[in-house]
Amino acid sequence: MSDAPTPAHHDRFSGLPAWLRPRARELPGSGRLRLIETTLLALLGLLLAIATVNDVARQTHINHRLIADLATWRAYTGHRYHNLSIEQELFGPASQHEVVCGNTSPGAPKARTQLCLVVYGSLSGGRRTVHGGWYLPPKVEDVRADRYGCFGVASRGMCPR
Amino acid sequence: MSVATQGERGVARIRSESWRPALVSLLALLILAATTEIVLDGAAGRSPLIPKSPPIASWLRGIGERLGYRVFLIAILVFAGAYALMLLLTRGQRGAVISKRWAIVLIAALHAIVFAGPILISTDIFSYIAYARMGVEHGLNPYLHGPVAISRDPVFQYVGHDWRHVATAYGPLYTLFSYPFAPLGVTGALWGMKVVAQLASVGMLVLTWRCAEKRHLNPAWAILAVGANPLYVIYGLGGAHNDLLMLLLMMAAVSLTLAGRDAAAGAVVVGGALVKATVAALLPFMILSRRRLAPILGALGALALGALLAYLAFGVHGLDVVSALNRDAAFVSTDSFAAELAHLFGKPGVFPVDHDLLKAALVLIALHLMWRTWRGYDWVAASGWTLLAISVTSTWLLAWYILWPLPLAVVTRDRRLLLATLAVQALFIVHQTSPLFAPVQ
Repeated sequence: MSDAPTPAHHDRFSGLPAWLRPRARELPGSGRLRLIETTLLALLGLLLAIATVNDVARQTHINHRLIADLATWRAYTGHRYHNLSIEQELFGPASQHEVVCGNTSPGAPKARTQLCLVVYGSLSGGRRTVHGGWYLPPKVEDVRADRYGCFGVASRGMCPR
Repeated sequence: MSVATQGERGVARIRSESWRPALVSLLALLILAATTEIVLDGAAGRSPLIPKSPPIASWLRGIGERLGYRVFLIAILVFAGAYALMLLLTRGQRGAVISKRWAIVLIAALHAIVFAGPILISTDIFSYIAYARMGVEHGLNPYLHGPVAISRDPVFQYVGHDWRHVATAYGPLYTLFSYPFAPLGVTGALWGMKVVAQLASVGMLVLTWRCAEKRHLNPAWAILAVGANPLYVIYGLGGAHNDLLMLLLMMAAVSLTLAGRDAAAGAVVVGGALVKATVAALLPFMILSRRRLAPILGALGALALGALLAYLAFGVHGLDVVSALNRDAAFVSTDSFAAELAHLFGKPGVFPVDHDLLKAALVLIALHLMWRTWRGYDWVAASGWTLLAISVTSTWLLAWYILWPLPLAVVTRDRRLLLATLAVQALFIVHQTSPLFAPVQ
């Protein structure tokens, strides 16, 4: 299995103690090292598998919340638009407070005046509660300087004036 | 009695074996169908899985429907399932179920389908083109500026948002290699880089075949395990990633070592590292295993030449690969195992201390593997384990990073490496599946 051994090895490293000397090929041994390695690998694999499944369940839970947020925006505005954007970072991902933005009239994404809603609270009937929001002019990202008409909880410092 | 029983068992075994080629063919058809579905739907137009791109696959438009997460994930799961079953059914069969021609035809068909389609999943190829155009068309150093410096260039609109302010982290050899594509325009460069990815893939598979043959392993099975791998086909080839070029040089180094050309092998590893630094991980294991001066001299010679070229082309910034790697190592992707473990233990994400712990774990693993190599363990397998450990401990994990150990895994006798690599790939795919359970629309 190993590539061609070099004949000079033994001479060059013969001064080293036996346990330190290089080998061209592994000794068959008792297989204890292999067993330890394989056990550690299996345990690590199990941990990664549990972490992966946990993360899928966690993300699925988040997705259910986001689906409810989109439904909330559509119910609040009465528009059945599909190109809505969700901001999860504004209040921190752990806060479970989301900001959903969408056009106030038909058009390409962000091409019209946008209405952003601050949504949080428990899920009920596939929706959550709107606690406030603001408007954005067309073709801008959601930055504080461009917000206007803040209402609800957003009126406490989310708009520049 | 016993002779009759044995005879009956033999007939039963032959009968049970006779369906095997038919089933393997069916699995191959499933793999082809899944790939075709993704490519045709990807060519249909706007999709969150298809990066914004010049219309290179518009001739396929109208056949498929817009590619959504649901169809993509089902196709990937079918592909992965068929691939795993195919490997199991053909394992250890020296030409009984898979002929060389059969394996080559399947892999060639997968390459052709992906080549005909749009760029899949990743915007990286547009970063490659942007860095090339920065250097050639705009006279800017891509090691100093991000693509935002050429925001009026036609390629800029296609560069991923996360990378617009980021200077290149690719090796100077790759950056110089990409320069001739810049004058071809965005579409020309795109096709050029797709051709390079295909050729690199074919070259790497040929070398994998040779290495497997030299090590008395089934070469057809080896290239099937790499060339029909779902992450390799859809993410690696589909995105035309420069990782394929790195893998080509990696397998060239292994092949050269097997031919006893140690100096050239050392030089080629350094050449690979000047494309993408990760492949440098092979060098200590090669040196420890060969215990000759030749690979060290070859590596030093290539490093001196590469450094001179990098300095002449990009100044000192082209030599500072370490700071670029440190910058990228600080990124965190949601698909990384580090992020998954953080969530499992109730943390919101990966903290600086976690980066340090992961680096320490990686160093320990590498030291253990170096010791094993010194004591006779296969250096190719040790290199593969190290590449796998790099991807698992990385906080910035992308699908094509888990491809790195795959060609090495199929040319070693330690089957645990292949099993571990495929298990990590399977977990990556499973981690993508949440939109199947709750599609956000």
